[in-house]
Amino acid sequence: IKIIVIGKWRLGVGKSCLLLQFTDKRFQPVHDLTIGVEFGARMITIDGKQIKLQIWDTAGQESFRSITRSYYRGAAGALLVYDITRRDTFNHLTTWLEDARQHSNSNMVIMLIGNKSDLESRREVKKEEGEAFAREHGLIFMETSAKTASNVEEAFINTAKEIYEKIQEGVFDINNEANGIKIGPQHAATNATLAGSQGGQQAGGGCC
Amino acid sequence: MSEKASSGNLKEEASHDGENGQKPEELGATESSEQGEQEREPAPMTRRRPEPKAPAQPPAAEKVADSPAAAQTGWGYWGSWGKSLLSTASATVATVGQGISNVIEKAETSLGIPSPSEISSETRDATKGAGDDGTSFPIAGALGVLSTISTAVQSTGKSVISGGLDALEFIGKKTMDVIAEGDPGFKKTKGLMSRTATLSQVLREAKEKEEQQTTAEVAMATEKKAHYGLLFDEFQGLSHLEALEMLSRESESKVKLVLNALSGEELDMLKEEMEQLREAFSLAEFSEEEEEENRGDEEFIKEVTELFSELHVSTKPDKLITVRTSAHEWIAQFNVDLSKKEESEENQAESSDGEHAVKKSIEDIHAFAIRSLAELTACSMEMFHKTAALFLHGQNKDVTATGRAKSLSQVTILLCKELSTFSKEFTTCLTTAGVKEKADVLNPLITGVFLEASNSASYIQDAFQLLLPVLQISLIEARTELLQQ
Repeated sequence: IKIIVIGKWRLGVGKSCLLLQFTDKRFQPVHDLTIGVEFGARMITIDGKQIKLQIWDTAGQESFRSITRSYYRGAAGALLVYDITRRDTFNHLTTWLEDARQHSNSNMVIMLIGNKSDLESRREVKKEEGEAFAREHGLIFMETSAKTASNVEEAFINTAKEIYEKIQEGVFDINNEANGIKIGPQHAATNATLAGSQGGQQAGGGCC
Repeated sequence: MSEKASSGNLKEEASHDGENGQKPEELGATESSEQGEQEREPAPMTRRRPEPKAPAQPPAAEKVADSPAAAQTGWGYWGSWGKSLLSTASATVATVGQGISNVIEKAETSLGIPSPSEISSETRDATKGAGDDGTSFPIAGALGVLSTISTAVQSTGKSVISGGLDALEFIGKKTMDVIAEGDPGFKKTKGLMSRTATLSQVLREAKEKEEQQTTAEVAMATEKKAHYGLLFDEFQGLSHLEALEMLSRESESKVKLVLNALSGEELDMLKEEMEQLREAFSLAEFSEEEEEENRGDEEFIKEVTELFSELHVSTKPDKLITVRTSAHEWIAQFNVDLSKKEESEENQAESSDGEHAVKKSIEDIHAFAIRSLAELTACSMEMFHKTAALFLHGQNKDVTATGRAKSLSQVTILLCKELSTFSKEFTTCLTTAGVKEKADVLNPLITGVFLEASNSASYIQDAFQLLLPVLQISLIEARTELLQQ
């Protein structure tokens, strides 16, 4: 399953940190600016089935935007990430969301992530606002902290579960590789993309 | 193990079907002779038949596999890399990714039942072929097969693994039933077929043929530790290649749009510039005579770094250099250990047994060689992908697209030469360490290293070719900016 991480990244909403926390279980506060896209992969188990999540972590820089668009194709899910301590990253969500919807599969599962939940004292975006935005646009919502690892697992796994359910319901055509899903005999794999609204977009792709 | 291999071949064959141009002759020959044995057999079954050949080599491997003699006895064929790879580069581009992912899928799942999409393309092929003699079945039937197969696969779940051939047979039969449902006329052929052979029988036959090939056996034993495709994916080479392909395809369609929008003199001018760019993308042939032996470490690093600075992008080939350096250090260490051992053998004739603990086994050397090749190639993929992203990002226009293309083609040649050097060094290690081994143990390992080095070189050259549309776009953009000023 391919999951794309998107988000606007002027100062970094923490998409790459989320990915690193998920794949390597560690936190590294300073990252090089993502060029184009970086990759991560991890096996998870849903419903007794092994699923390989392939995550594409896209560059959040505005100037990379036209490039990151190219990566949306083939993503089964996306994490749209903003930084709860930066209002502007939240304000940019709509643009990134439109981008994601326009350049990807219409069934793509999108999860909204408010990252940096450990910095409660510097919070600029209320949790309720995130929830409201998610409800309005039909997204799943979660607040995470890549630093403390809070909800990071859940964010990725819930996205994968949602994709998995869609596969079971037959919403995703598993025969079409452009959906970012490849089925192995005994397990299904999903690609998920992480998207961050703060300025970075991450796309993820994965196969099972 | 052998079920795995047999079923892996199913996939391979499926992917070959897609690229008829490259399909090795032996395949065609085997297929037709089998067809002869079991006449009137329905096309879909024939097509799913495994091929009795070595497992788990990506399709690009075939061209070298055809000349194992050359691989074992001399360096002659390295010189022809440039020529043969260049001409096939564009043709393999499309299938490289697929080839590897097939292999990976196979190894990951340890049971490579053809994926539904592959079956769908097969069945469609079959429909086309069968149309002439009136046994065609409707596409609707083919689609029905797909959904049933996926359910069959899911419902059999874990028993598929333990069931091995039986599971395959079950799925095969199920498929036949569905096909038959979709087309009454098909039942006749099906009846005929179940009398002649069952799928498992066919598979077993294939397996036996396969076992006659020692190469295949050794390759299978070492597969786990030294599976190039898996390692290449682990180092994210596949992802970077895929991402690069995406950028390349998008650029390609943009280029087409621009060309369509232009006319007259402007179009001619642009076409001429693009032609120059394309010329820069034709790699000079590597000539053997020129190949400097034993180029120093510093030289490679210096050259790569210089060429990269000519590109004027912010990426640096640091990772590539690190990987390469550590591989060279490993080889150097190996040689040091070896000479120590020789010394001690001279001094005290009986002490050599004690040295075995230090000595690396030929399997270790092989595994390390494959690993290094996969990592080096994956790093090259990453480097090309990042470079493409930065070109598109519009960084630094001081250099012309053609200038960049020239530097990149130098990088490509340098990398391929490096791979060639590596394969020589690794096989020398193998030969030295394996003096006492039997040839049928040692030779497949040596061939394997050459094969994967050659594969690596084709991936790198393919990736380089993917950069052409990207540079075309940046050329067009630079022109537009110039005109606007």
